[in-house]
Amino acid sequence: MSASVDNTKSFLEVSPGIRNWLYTLDHKRIGLMYLCGILFSLLLGGAFALLVRTALFSPGLTIVGQDWYNKFFTLHGAVMVFLVIIPGIPAALGNMVLPVQLGAPDVAFPKLNLASFYLWCSGAFLLLLATALGDVDTGWTFYTPYSLESQTAVIPAVAGAFVLGFSSIFTGLNFLVTIHKFRPAHMGWFQMPLNLWALYATALMQVLATPVLGITLLLLFVERFMQIGIFDPTLGGDPVLFQHCFWFYSHPAVYIMIVPAMGVISEMITTFSRKHIFGYRFIAYSSVALALFSFLVWGHHMFVSGQSRLANMVFSALTFSVGIPSAIKVFNWTATLYKGDIRLDTPMLYVLSFLILFTIGGLTGIFLAVLSIDVHLHDTYFVVAHFHYVMMGSTLVAFIGALHYWWPKFTGRMYPEALGKLCAWGVFVGFNLTFLPQFVMGSRGMPRRYWDFDPEYTLYHRLSTIGAFLLGISLFVVVCYLAWSLKRGKKATQNPWGGTTLEWVAPTPPTTFNFPEPPPEVELYDYDDLVEVPNANEDGVTNWERRPATGKPAKAHH
Amino acid sequence: MSAQDNDKGGHDDHGHGHGHGSPFIQHHYDDAQHQFDSGKLGIWFFLVQEVLFFSGLFVAYILFRHHHPEVFAYASHYLDVKWGAINTAVLIVSSLSAAWAVRCAQLGQRRGLIACLVITLVCAFGFLGIKYIEYSHKFHERILWGHRFDPCVASGGAHLPNKSNQCDGVKSSVVWDFKTKKADRGCLDAETGYDWEPATPGIQARCQVAEIKIGVQGNERREVGRRAIEMCEAAAGHGQPHKPVPCWALVENRHVCPKGPAAMVYYGDKAVRTDVEIEAVCEAAPAPAAPEDAFAHAADRPAPGQATLTRQAPPTKHDLQVAWSNGPPPQNTNMFFSIYFAMTGLHGLHVLAGIFVYIWLLVRALKGHFTPEYFGPVDYAALYWHLVDLIWIFLFPLLYLIH
Ligand code: HEM
Ligand SMILES: [Cu+2]
Repeated sequence: MSASVDNTKSFLEVSPGIRNWLYTLDHKRIGLMYLCGILFSLLLGGAFALLVRTALFSPGLTIVGQDWYNKFFTLHGAVMVFLVIIPGIPAALGNMVLPVQLGAPDVAFPKLNLASFYLWCSGAFLLLLATALGDVDTGWTFYTPYSLESQTAVIPAVAGAFVLGFSSIFTGLNFLVTIHKFRPAHMGWFQMPLNLWALYATALMQVLATPVLGITLLLLFVERFMQIGIFDPTLGGDPVLFQHCFWFYSHPAVYIMIVPAMGVISEMITTFSRKHIFGYRFIAYSSVALALFSFLVWGHHMFVSGQSRLANMVFSALTFSVGIPSAIKVFNWTATLYKGDIRLDTPMLYVLSFLILFTIGGLTGIFLAVLSIDVHLHDTYFVVAHFHYVMMGSTLVAFIGALHYWWPKFTGRMYPEALGKLCAWGVFVGFNLTFLPQFVMGSRGMPRRYWDFDPEYTLYHRLSTIGAFLLGISLFVVVCYLAWSLKRGKKATQNPWGGTTLEWVAPTPPTTFNFPEPPPEVELYDYDDLVEVPNANEDGVTNWERRPATGKPAKAHH
Repeated sequence: MSAQDNDKGGHDDHGHGHGHGSPFIQHHYDDAQHQFDSGKLGIWFFLVQEVLFFSGLFVAYILFRHHHPEVFAYASHYLDVKWGAINTAVLIVSSLSAAWAVRCAQLGQRRGLIACLVITLVCAFGFLGIKYIEYSHKFHERILWGHRFDPCVASGGAHLPNKSNQCDGVKSSVVWDFKTKKADRGCLDAETGYDWEPATPGIQARCQVAEIKIGVQGNERREVGRRAIEMCEAAAGHGQPHKPVPCWALVENRHVCPKGPAAMVYYGDKAVRTDVEIEAVCEAAPAPAAPEDAFAHAADRPAPGQATLTRQAPPTKHDLQVAWSNGPPPQNTNMFFSIYFAMTGLHGLHVLAGIFVYIWLLVRALKGHFTPEYFGPVDYAALYWHLVDLIWIFLFPLLYLIH
């Protein structure tokens, strides 16, 4: 980072050229590059999903037989989990937003940040290589002993997930240090935007859980290469140990997905309600509580894997407790809406979808935590519907919402609002149409990961497939109009939504070190003296400006 | 390390060009201290990550040890405590020099810094060298993981025949040549239990096998007395004992081949000594391979004619060794080596990574990059190195010192 960096121009313009982007240390550029990769993966994973859904349109042979079906759902799961949902909010949006919300010039370790990005690319490459080499059919969970025997390209897929894990670890580490060491003097822990609390809790989980996945996948990898025997029962190894290690990561991983989503939701919900967030400390603490609890409940994925009864009971009880911090958040968000001046811009539509979908997803998780019920529901479509409500209905919806929220800030352009709203509705309706029937058929016994089904389920599968296409098309249109808006969108103002966090004080788009002048101290979530100025720029976009409210002095200082 | 996060004063002057002292202070930090503190916190988080990375293996260790205590007690005797202890000492010394390097860097003692870095590197190489010796010995003896676990010796050092019939070299016993149906090399010395001249053929007699008595249930038997016997048996026809069939078998005679393979039976992966008796009619003993063959005393060769060959020789040193040691490996002994190689291998990779880091530090130290204002990398590397050391300090007793 040379001293000659121009900190007056927008980071998008300052040093053009593909080389300058590929070698950039600017967290916003890295975030945007992640975003491209992630959106691409989203379309790819979505294409696999639609193939799966098409195959399930009717009982019996439709487009593909069982081998291809197994490959499709495995690739769908692996791409969506490892390439989209886990890095989505932290690596792409978090990277862009976190330093700006802190008022910092960059993350603590910009080179490490770039390295994480290239690790992500390598991992993605390996996963795609697995696809090209004839696919993987183990499911994204890579359970042993099947993953030891499968003749498909398990090795590159596992290697890819391993590398992606390290990308995630280094991103988390970077964020932890940045939040610890780059907060301005006036920003104590409880003056941090809630998004930063969420990213902090996420980063903790990334650093504490992902290494366990790393060693597990490494052992699986070595096992396939050299038959080391740790997981192979024919050599005296323990295949259930794999499940324990896998879920020890992958349960926290579901919180790595959801907690940052909760962070962006907290930001958006207060902005679009024009009202101070309700229960700041509760939301902040519950993020950390979720991070800690998430390490204690992995056994709920293994109720029928031969765990001891005692273990089952303990894990079941602990799993219920995870509902508490989740519910605390939902209550606080709802209370924030109460008597707010709610603005239904596109991001807010996603926020409201999130609230509904997350509540359904979380509650069905509680159903599954009940031992006797889980024995019936385990490995059925009920589980599939549950985790899609939380992973897709919550995390992905929050991600798309937040993408709209910060899009103007970081690209300098507005997306087309009317189309945005239409697609938000498409996502919401399509999503429910896809997954509500899955709850029903799951509870009636339709097992997951089957390529064929009894005709009694045909109606549900058809509804689900139709919903999936609506959902897929809506998301595809979102990606298209966002890309379109990069050049054609209306010019964005500095603060088009009236947010109170520091990024809305930075120029649009921010400069290389984010702030040409040291950022002022802001009053977090205080909307009183923010005034809406319609038609603030030549494209007629709204801006919100801080005006001293009656009696109160302006808060510009330093 | 995480407690002092709040004590750093504001960094409100970032975002515009201002000079830093050392050329290695990056621009987005307020000052050298800010950079150092950030790096330090970062490396601590990294170490936490490392601990968790290893934790998976420690869990596997606990689990398998809990399930198979006998395996761990038996198998750890295969490991050489001497080398393990030396390596422990080597790493402790290197940790000391790594810490000292930090001190030198802080005080600006360039020579001391370079010396300490060199010592650390030498120790790291020493560690890997010793590990190489240990590993190569294990490879030789087939004391490996999974199906590759096929040891030539029991954990007390006594010889075992092995399934793959190829304990050549070091301490092996006899190798059977399936084509010529002769024991084509090796003959154990009864006193030492060592194969003195693995290249020299053993001394055989041509015998007619009359009966093979095995003190175990017949259908549990997979491979009797290495395949030599098996072939005799096949030729003799199952269920038709007492029908003499010409066959090559090693003669059980303490002066000829005291440890013929006939003394072992395999159940699955497990080799067990058993009271195999071979009754055979020997035709003649072949001439000694070479006059200087130490064991080729004509008087000790079985005379032509009828002879009953049973294992009735007095206990050899081999027998005693087997008795002292825990006998042949219990089932799943391979699991110990799965864990052993996984843990020490991963640790070794970390040592290797440390070597690269220290070479890089050495180059930078030679270029004079480190000053009392800027010495972070030396400090961070030392922390990493201490962790690598610490992990070994756990591995050493857990693997080498089990009773
Ligand atoms: C309210 C909190 C939650 C509870 C109590 C809960 C409970 C459960 C339980 C008991 C299962 C196991 C069902 C079975 O396999 O039989 C499960 C599966 C799953 N959950 Fe949740 N869950 C919660 C939130 C989440 C969140 C927030 C996510 C992701 C963002 C998530 C993702 C998943 C996934 C991916 C699976 C299935 C994995 C697989 O087998 O492939 N859950 N959940
Ligand atoms: Cu879970």
